[in-house]
Formats: sequence, C-alpha cells, structure tokens
Amino acid sequence: MKTVVKTCSLAILIMLGFSITASAQAGRKADKDTKTWRYEIEGVGIGIQGTYLVKVWSYSKKPDVALDQAKKNAVHGIVFKGFSGRPGMPGQRALASNPFVEQERADFFKKFFADRGPYMKFVYESGDGSVAAEDRMKVAKEYKIGVIVSVNVAALRQYLEDEGVIKGLASGF
Amino acid sequence: MKNGIKIIFIIALSILSGNTGFSQAKKPTLMVVPSDVWCTKNGYMADFDNQGTKFKIPDYKKAFQENSDLLLAVSKINELMAERGFPLKNLESSLKSLQDQAAEDAMLTSKSGADINETPIDVLKKVARADIWIQMTWTVNQTGPKKSITFVLQGLDAYTDKQVAGASGTGTPSFTAEFPVLLEEAVISHIDNFNAQLVKHFDDLFANGREVILRIKTFSSFSGDLESEYGGEELGTIIEDWLAANTVQGRFGTTDATESMMLFEQVRIPLYDANGRAVDARSWARGLQKMLKDKYQIDSKLMMKGLGQAQLVIGEK
Repeated sequence: MKTVVKTCSLAILIMLGFSITASAQAGRKADKDTKTWRYEIEGVGIGIQGTYLVKVWSYSKKPDVALDQAKKNAVHGIVFKGFSGRPGMPGQRALASNPFVEQERADFFKKFFADRGPYMKFVYESGDGSVAAEDRMKVAKEYKIGVIVSVNVAALRQYLEDEGVIKGLASGF
Repeated sequence: MKNGIKIIFIIALSILSGNTGFSQAKKPTLMVVPSDVWCTKNGYMADFDNQGTKFKIPDYKKAFQENSDLLLAVSKINELMAERGFPLKNLESSLKSLQDQAAEDAMLTSKSGADINETPIDVLKKVARADIWIQMTWTVNQTGPKKSITFVLQGLDAYTDKQVAGASGTGTPSFTAEFPVLLEEAVISHIDNFNAQLVKHFDDLFANGREVILRIKTFSSFSGDLESEYGGEELGTIIEDWLAANTVQGRFGTTDATESMMLFEQVRIPLYDANGRAVDARSWARGLQKMLKDKYQIDSKLMMKGLGQAQLVIGEK
C-alpha cells in the first residue's frame, strides 16, 4: 500500500514539474516572439485623451500565455513598431524614433519588459478580458489570440523621456 | 579646514561655470492659426486695399470672437502641446497684446511732450509672429444623417516656407456624435503623428544647424555695388566666402545675385557660437556685418525677422 502511495505521489510531482516547465517554456517562447516582433498590432479606435486603444494578436501553444503576453506586446509595439490605422482612424508612429534604441538601451528594456515589470503600469485590458470567438484561432499547432488593450501612451512617453530613452519635443531647447 | 573651504569654493565655481558656459538653443515659437481656406469657407476674410490692388486677408480677430469651434480646436492643440512640454503662443492673446500696445503707443508721450519713434518698417512689422505656424483646416462632410470631419494640420516654417510637419485624415462617420466631439477626436488622433514629425525636424536642426534666409541689399547712398572690388575680390564673392566659412559644412544656396542684391536660402547656421551661446539669424549675420566694417570699412544696417531671417542693407546704418 505504502509503495502505491509513494508511486502515485512521485507521478503527481513529476506531472506538476512537467506542467510548470511547459508553462515556463511557453512564457519564454512568448517573450522570444515579442523580441522578434512576432505579433501583430492594429488600432481599433480613438481612446480617451492620452491613450491608444489597440488590438494585439499574439501566438502561443497555450491560450493563457498568449493572453498574458498581449499587454507586453502592446507596449512593445507602441514603443518600437507603431501601428496601422483603419478608415476613419489614423495609425500612429512608434514612440522611439531611433531604430537602434532597443539594442543601445538593452539593459533598460530587459528590466522594463520583465514579467510584471514597469510596462504593466501603462497597459490594461479593455473589457473583462474575455476574447471573442473570432479572435481565438488555431493556426497549425498554436493559438493566435487577439486582445484589445488600452495603453496610457501619455504616461508611457513621459516615463521613457524621463529615463532618457526617447527624446521629448522640447529636448535641447 | 582650509582644504574644506577650498573644495567648497572649487565645487561652487565649477557649478557656476557650468551654468554660464552652456546655453540651450533658442526655442522656436509655435502658433496655431486657421488656414485661409477655412477662413474663406466660414466668412472670416476681410478686404484689403494695397495701393489700389484689392485682395483678401484672413480676419483672425473676427474668427476668434465669433467661432467657438475654432476656440475649442486651438485650445485643445495648445493643451496637448503644453502637456508635451512645448507650450504654444496663443494667436488670440497675441492679437489682443498688439492692439493694447498700439493704443498705449498712441497715448505715450514724454514729459516734454515727445512721441515715441516709429518707422514705417516698425508699423509694417506689427503683426502676430511665430517661427512655425501650425495651420489648421477642417471641413465637415455630410452623407445623409452621417457626419464626419476631414482635418488637416500643417506645420509651416515661417522663414523657409517649408512644411516641416503635417497630419491629415477623415474621421469615422457618425450618426450621433456632436460636432465638437468629432472635432476634439480629430485633434487627439492627429496630434501625435504631427509631433513625431516635428521632433524629426528638430533633430535635423540639431544635427545640421538652423535653416535661415539671408538677404543682402544696398542703399542708393552706397558708393559702390556688390560687383565693386575690394582687395582684388568682388564684394559679392567676399560675402559668399564668409558664408562658406561660417555655415555648417559650408551649406548654403545662392538663389539670386545681382549688382544690387543677393539672396541666400537654405543657409545652415550653427545653433551655438564659439562661446557656446545660442545663435539666431541676426546674431549670426552680425558677424558678417562686423567683418565688412572691420576689414573693408563698409557700414551696413542689419534687420531681422524672427529667428530665421536676416537682412543686411549695405551702405550706411
């Protein structure tokens, strides 16, 4: 009997370990995707003053990871990529006009985009976090999930200006 | 003890020298103004008779007094720019200041009853000024019950006449939204792209110098002309040589040159002089004026228009 309990406990522990490792791996893969620009970002509407309302499409084998990564991708996209508009709504340029700033300030961005890092201060999900059926797609072996998030771009810009990452409008004068 | 005082003295001296030795570039002034198209469409143009030739000029004062939408759009742009640390000059206030100043000047006399001096040029120059004009236009489009706004924002350099920034587009048609809401939305959605281009323009300014225009003219009382030779060189060539030596990477274009006038455009002047002081077109052209006086005993009169245009009239002061 004791042997059976021991074996079961061991099996559960191993399964838990695998699950945590798989989840961590999925998270690492999602971070890698962010760094290699593997996400899509588009404007969905004009938010309140100082905010951008964007839809971010992220990829992952685990839908939860894709959902979590959406916020990071949204901030990453607004800082480095900008986004296209749609009829009636103009797209926006990236906050960083220097295309090499990500490499030049690699240490800053490593901390900034760390899990639960400072980027979280500037982004929040729009609505209750639920994803519409048409925004959840299975592409080959992974999910492509579209989430609408709101980014407080005025505060984000101010933070990056204060940290000397991007130049302000009045810099040098 | 003595060492401590010495250290404090050195630190204080270094802070002071740091403050005085470094100065920032002269900040351009920006002002939002409705475009001529908008003024014409909304009936804010006034007839002006210039020595027999009639033409229309925008009546900004009337527009600000009568159109609350204009006030909303200008105020929103001013607010958003101030948030970015770049407060704008307000056209309405500038017009009021000019009016007040004119009334004050008319009443001003000394104890002996003397009026203030004012040349015809001074009178001509009494207009609202900015280094970059933010020209704004909007039109309302209506399809059935749906309304949308086409919004255009242009940043125009007052001296080079170049468009240095711009943003434009048509908003989403709406059944219900009120017009001021659509207008506010249009401003909010375009201002960031406009500012991104403005930042690029300022980056170029810091990298390649301020772009200015220099006009050289001659008074009829001047005994020579720009083709007169001084030390074996024509005066025009002497001026061009000075420009080549005193512009960023020798960048300037001679747009026009005759015996009585020269026009230099796309002149890139450094933002700071050798002493680290901020430079504008006038302080830069003063170098040319000084060179002509010191080396060739030629007097000249230097005039300015904002940060980016200077005019040197050779012959006398």
